[in-house]
Order: sequence, then C-alpha cells, then structure tokens
Amino acid sequence: MSEMTDAPSSEAAAMPTTSRMSAAGRATFELGLRLGGLFIAIVIVGIIFYSLNPAFINADVIISLLRSMSSVAIMGLGLTLVIVGGEIDLSVGAMYGLAANAVAVMWILGDVPIYLAIPFALAIGALVGLFNGLLVTYARIPAFVVTLGSYNLLYGLSLYISNAGTFNPIYPPEGYKVDPVQLKFFQALTAQFGTHRMSIEVLWMIALALLVGFLLHRSLFGFRLMAIGGNPVAGQLARLPVRRYKITSFMLAGVLSAAAGVLDFSFIQTSQPDIGLSSTFPVFAAVIIGGASLAGGKGTVIGTLGGALLLAELQIGLALLTLGPHAQQLFLGFVTIGAVALDIALTKLRARTVA
Amino acid sequence: MSGGASGRIEVRGLHKSYGSTRALAGLDLELRSGEVLGIAGPNGAGKSTLMRILAGEERADSGELRLDGAPWSPMATAGTVAVVHQEPQLFPNLSVADNLMVGREGSRLRRPRLGAADRALAQALGIAAYAGRPLSTCTLATQQRVEIARALARDARVFLFDEPNSALTDDESDELFRELHRLAEAGHIVILVTHRLGDLVEHTDRVAIVRDGRVTAILEGEALTEDGIARQLVLGGVQVHAEDMAGTPPIAALPGQPVLRARGWSHLDDAFDGIELAAAPGEIVALMGVEGSGARELLRSFAGLERCAGEIAVAGRTDLAGLDRSTAYVSATRQHSLYGHLSVGDNLLARLGRPEIAGLGLVLRRARMRERAEDAVRRFLIKARTIAQGIRSLSGGNQQKVAIAQAMMKRPILLLLEEPTRGVDIRSKGEIYRLLRGFADAGNAVIMFCTEVLEMFEAADRVFVVSDGRLSAPLLVKDHTRVEELATSVTRLERHGRQGR
Repeated sequence: MSEMTDAPSSEAAAMPTTSRMSAAGRATFELGLRLGGLFIAIVIVGIIFYSLNPAFINADVIISLLRSMSSVAIMGLGLTLVIVGGEIDLSVGAMYGLAANAVAVMWILGDVPIYLAIPFALAIGALVGLFNGLLVTYARIPAFVVTLGSYNLLYGLSLYISNAGTFNPIYPPEGYKVDPVQLKFFQALTAQFGTHRMSIEVLWMIALALLVGFLLHRSLFGFRLMAIGGNPVAGQLARLPVRRYKITSFMLAGVLSAAAGVLDFSFIQTSQPDIGLSSTFPVFAAVIIGGASLAGGKGTVIGTLGGALLLAELQIGLALLTLGPHAQQLFLGFVTIGAVALDIALTKLRARTVA
Repeated sequence: MSGGASGRIEVRGLHKSYGSTRALAGLDLELRSGEVLGIAGPNGAGKSTLMRILAGEERADSGELRLDGAPWSPMATAGTVAVVHQEPQLFPNLSVADNLMVGREGSRLRRPRLGAADRALAQALGIAAYAGRPLSTCTLATQQRVEIARALARDARVFLFDEPNSALTDDESDELFRELHRLAEAGHIVILVTHRLGDLVEHTDRVAIVRDGRVTAILEGEALTEDGIARQLVLGGVQVHAEDMAGTPPIAALPGQPVLRARGWSHLDDAFDGIELAAAPGEIVALMGVEGSGARELLRSFAGLERCAGEIAVAGRTDLAGLDRSTAYVSATRQHSLYGHLSVGDNLLARLGRPEIAGLGLVLRRARMRERAEDAVRRFLIKARTIAQGIRSLSGGNQQKVAIAQAMMKRPILLLLEEPTRGVDIRSKGEIYRLLRGFADAGNAVIMFCTEVLEMFEAADRVFVVSDGRLSAPLLVKDHTRVEELATSVTRLERHGRQGR
C-alpha cells in the first residue's frame, strides 16, 4: 500500500459539502469509467471481427460465445473473491479438473449415484479451499507457493484416480454401466434449449454471478473482504476476522471451480486427467482484465464477467478467421497487458476529473 | 561537494492544480545556502506539493525556479535535491555500504566497493561501523544518516528534511539536528519541514508559513517564536485549541467501577513489569515515555496486542471477548487504521458489523450506511466533500480524524490511542482533543500514549511517566497552570524513574 500523506487536494476537501446529492451519480460515473473501457473493447473487437467475417454476428455465435465463456467466468468469480481478499489461487484450473475426474470415477467406475457424486465433488472443492486457506493464513506460507503446490497435487490426484484415463458416461468402459435416468439428469444440467440451442450452463453462470455479486457487493462479507484485502494489518488491528474471511474466499473459489468442472463435464461429456489446467491463465486474465488488482481490495463481478466475455469473443472470433492457434495466444497476451494499461490510464483520468 | 556561496534558489509564482483543486497559487520563496529554512503550514496548505516539486517528483503548472540565477528544472537535474524522509526510502535488504553504492556502480562487472571518499563520508556520519549490516537491522536514525550520506556522495546541494525526527528518540533527534546544521555550515541549502514548533524555533534561521498555496509570512529573528508560528498557522481559522479546551473543565474521576483496571500486569518480553493502573469513567489518561521505555507496549497490551501476564479487567470483565468488544485501538501509523483504497464513508464504517450496517443474512443496509457515514462526517468534524471521495484525498489531519472516528463508532468504552495527533496540523489537533473529551464525558475512558508534553497538557487529565517499564506516580494536569510546569514535572519523574532502577 502506498503512503498516506496529506494529499494535495485537501483544499477541495475543505469546500462546503454542496455536492452531496451527486455522490451516487459520481459513483456511477466512476464505475462507468472503470468498466466503460472494457465494454467498449468488447464492442470494438466485435465490430472488427464482424467486418472481417460477417458470420461473426449472429444469434448462434453469440449464444455459443456465452456458453464457452461460462466455465472461465465461474472459476473467475471464485478467483475474484480470493484476489479481492488480497491473495491468489493458482489451483482453480486443477480443481476444475479434479472435480470432473472425481465425478467421472465415482459415478462411472464407482457406481456412486450422480446425485451424490456431484455434491461430493463440490465438497472436495471446499476442502481444497480450506487446505489452501489454512496454509496461507495459519502457516503463513505465501498463497502463490501454497496454490502452486496444490495445483500439482490436484493434477496428481486427477491422474491417480482416473488412472490417466478418459471417461465418457455415454460410452462407459467395458464392464461398467451408467444408469440412463442418471445420465439424463447429468446431461440435463447443461442441456440446450430454444431455437438457438442455448445451454443451461449459461443460466448457471448467471445465477452464480448474481450470488457472488451479492456476496461481494451487497453483503457484510464482501464489504469486509474488500477492506481486509487492501489492508490486512488494519483489519487485524480493528479485530476483523481476517483469517476466517480469507479462508472462506479460498473455499468459495474451490467450490466454484469444482462447479465449473462438473458443468463442463456435463456439457462436453468427456473427462480427461488434464482438463482445466490450460484454463488457469485465461481465468487470471479474465479477472485482471475485469479490473481486479493483484494488490487486493479491488475487483468486481461485472468486470470479471466482462473479462471472460472478451476472452471468449477473441477465442471464437479468431477461430472463425482460422488464423491458427498461435493467434489466440498472441491476442490473449496483448489483451491482458492492454487491458491493465487501459485501466491504469483510466484511473489517472478519473483522478484528474474527480479529484 | 559543491555549494557556492552565491548558491540560492528562487521560486517565483509557482502554480499547481490537481483537477479543480488549487494546491499552489503563486508561491514565492527564496532559499539561501548556508541557512536552515523552516517550512510550516496546516496540512493541505501546499507544503507537500512544494516539496514534491523541489525534489523533482512533480512539475509545476506554471512559475519559475532559478538556481544560482539560472533557470532550473529539478526534474532534469536529479540528485541536486536530496530528501531525508521520516521513513527513509532506501533498500532495506541491502547492506549499509551497498546502499551508499546503488546507482553509482559504474559499468564494471566487478562488485563495487566503497572508495576512500565514501569511507571518509561514512566515518564522518558515524555509520562506518555498520557498513556490512543489512539496512533493515539498523535503527531509523542510522537509516536516515545513510540517506544523508547517499545524497552527499552524489553531490546534492539541497537537503530537504521532511518530518525527519517524528519517530526518533530525543538523543537521536539531537544528533540529527547537529548533522543538519553541519550541512548548512558546509554551504548547502537546508530545508526543514516539521509540525514541531519547538524544533523550528530552535533549529532554523527563518520559517516560511505556507497557507492556501502561498507563503503568507516569513518569521525570523525576534518574531521567530512558537507562539508566533502558532498564531500564523491558525490565523483566520478557528480559535487556538488551548482556549477552546479551557471551556471544558476535565471531570474529576467519577466514583464507581473503573473502566480499566490492571494489576500485576507484566510484559512477557520484559517491556514493562508489575503495572498497577486504573482508569475511571470520564478520564483521559496519558502514558508518556520515550521509545524503549515500555509506554508504547503498555498501551498496545491493553488492546491485546502484546503477550502479557497479570490481571486485567475492562468494565469488570476479564474475558477476551469482553475486552474485544469494549476496547478499540488506533495505531500511530495511519496506514494501520485506514484503508487507502476505500472511500471516506467506507473507512468510517469499516469496524462495524451486524446489526449496525448489516441485517439478516449479512445483507448490507446501504441507506443506513450512508446515513451513518454522513452523520459521522458531521459529528467528527471531518472536512470532506462527500463520503464517496477517496480517503487519500483528505488532508493528514482529516485522515486522522477518520481513523479515530472509525474506532469511536464501534462504541468502545475504552479508547486506546497511540500518538493520536502525530503529524497532524494544529487546528485538527484541537478538534481531535475536543472529540476525545466528548467521548470521555459520556462516561468512557481514553488511554493514550504520547511523546509530546503539549499534547498531554491539552488533552489529558492524568499523566503517567513510563521509564524502564515502570509507571511513575500520576501527575494531575489540572495542578499545572502552564505547559512548562508540566514539562518540568514530567522530566523530573522521568529522570527519577531512570535512576530508580
């Protein structure tokens, strides 16, 4: 945290409080400035892709865009909580993979009903978050180290339980059977409906975003997490439950990552031991593009959703242009750095206009 | 080392605005080599902006700077102006010697070593003995001297001391001022910015008063007195706090249960031992002691921040949960109380929970939060445009009011304050003392750790001097009609305490 010296604008502070009425307006204006850049970027990127390939803007593409952003967004929601709390979680992608593999193994090989396997996988997510959180807060090991370790641990577990195998409930391995009713239930979790074949996974994403949005922006938990994340020392001296809040944020990240893994497994129908690993960095990119600060204390749900949307847009747009896989990676790199640079520029602008 | 006799800096018509806020409004000033110039002004008057411009950290919007008569841009000539900070801005992970070297290593691949000139310099400043030690293990005073040495090695001509001794002991600060005078005698331009009026009178040749972005007065010679500076600082403002406080006679300790009672209260790491202390409702108690006396640790221990043994009761309750609920602690370091990334309103409410700002299901009550924050801004005399503005846009004094208000809003019955007005302008000081008195008058108690006698005189009812981890007999502030008398008593007790061991 930077120094708190007497800032230059204190004469303004001494001005009579005439503009109290506009406090809400100013807050909205600030949010607009903050998010404005991101959503303008989304629109501009859309226009560019559209001009290159008019097939980009049609209902089907937009619907599939929403579907493909959803798992990154759901993991991003959890990561946003952790980052707002001033910590970091590198294990979200590995947790996604472990959840999918755990459901596959329990359900297809272990004959555990899907109705139990899913809650069980979510509980593993909570447990992993608890593990991360305890090591970070009580053993005081830096979160980067702890979660880098658990990333590998979880991937190792996925390899172990799946015996490095791939599972598809429609085509179970020789000698195993999947109950058709349960299969139907599992598929229904992300079933597609309507003329444009929208997946229910999108609805899950929206529902979870509303839930996390409430937690972060409308609840005491979020209010305190935001404070603690930016200045844990002050939180501790004011006797706020700093550790408990951080542990809770890790647990929520674990559960949300597990949920994303289960939902994607339901949609893709196939689990592999290494799924999810490659989404680790896109999830970070989405959260950072969305305006969260790695220094803690800053981040929004709407920003993270925007970040995930922008990434999905690039992914699908570039795929339609068939430029090859390198293009996606290059763009991901540019966009991540560019988004943060833009945010810094906008913050300066805001400081100049609002100060 | 250069520093020509003709050396002087002229500042003409300096303007600087941040958005709609004017920080400097045509500031004129002349700095002469060989003299120590003091700069004083309320927080937010433009002092810091002037310092940043001189140090080359920021550019003025308009105005002229001349060095030895020639146009001068501090930004283009880095190293001309050296700033000695309250908290040195060095490389704590490197050794003292490496700190002297960083940035001047040259192009050789060989690891650089101190030259003869550097060694002489280190010797002169008394830091040669620490050359191999990591800087982070040195005292603040040593670190400041490293900062001075570093600047001298770079031929700095201007030394800007920014609240340099606010965290030093008396001896260390005497040592620092000796160094400051040596620099002036060597022909450097020396500037001292401080809130301590005594230091300005004792150690500067002239004092420039900065108010509202201009130099409004320059005091020198006969006119350079503490009273004179104080009068300039509050000119046109509210009344001086001393008169202000006179209207509210301290309530004598009320009968009944004390708010705090400590018996045989001892620090497990030996900062203090066998403390017996009680604070009555309505009372403001000051613990006075130099760094290392145990006074600071004693205060922190009442907040549960130190490992201690013995008996302690707050309002008769001895359990931890009771202590937690009924006490609130405010650190001397503002960064430890305030959340720099949050708004004024959120900072005020940061210690509250259910049911004050959240209802069932921990849902925040937005309307109530706004109401409470706006009410607090009024009640605690915080000068803010809106509760939505960032905390860092407030002046230091107003930030400190927010820090104390944040603790008071938790409705503790015992408020524990560490140097409650450190680095705060004189006007805010008076307002903070008034807030503390109001809080105590409602039947609560305040215990504060102070290092300045004036503060105890203005704010406290009883003073305990802590030396070598033991409490003196209490001094009643009302038995002293003038601050000098209290200072004499305190010094006597302190000397006595040190010899008593």
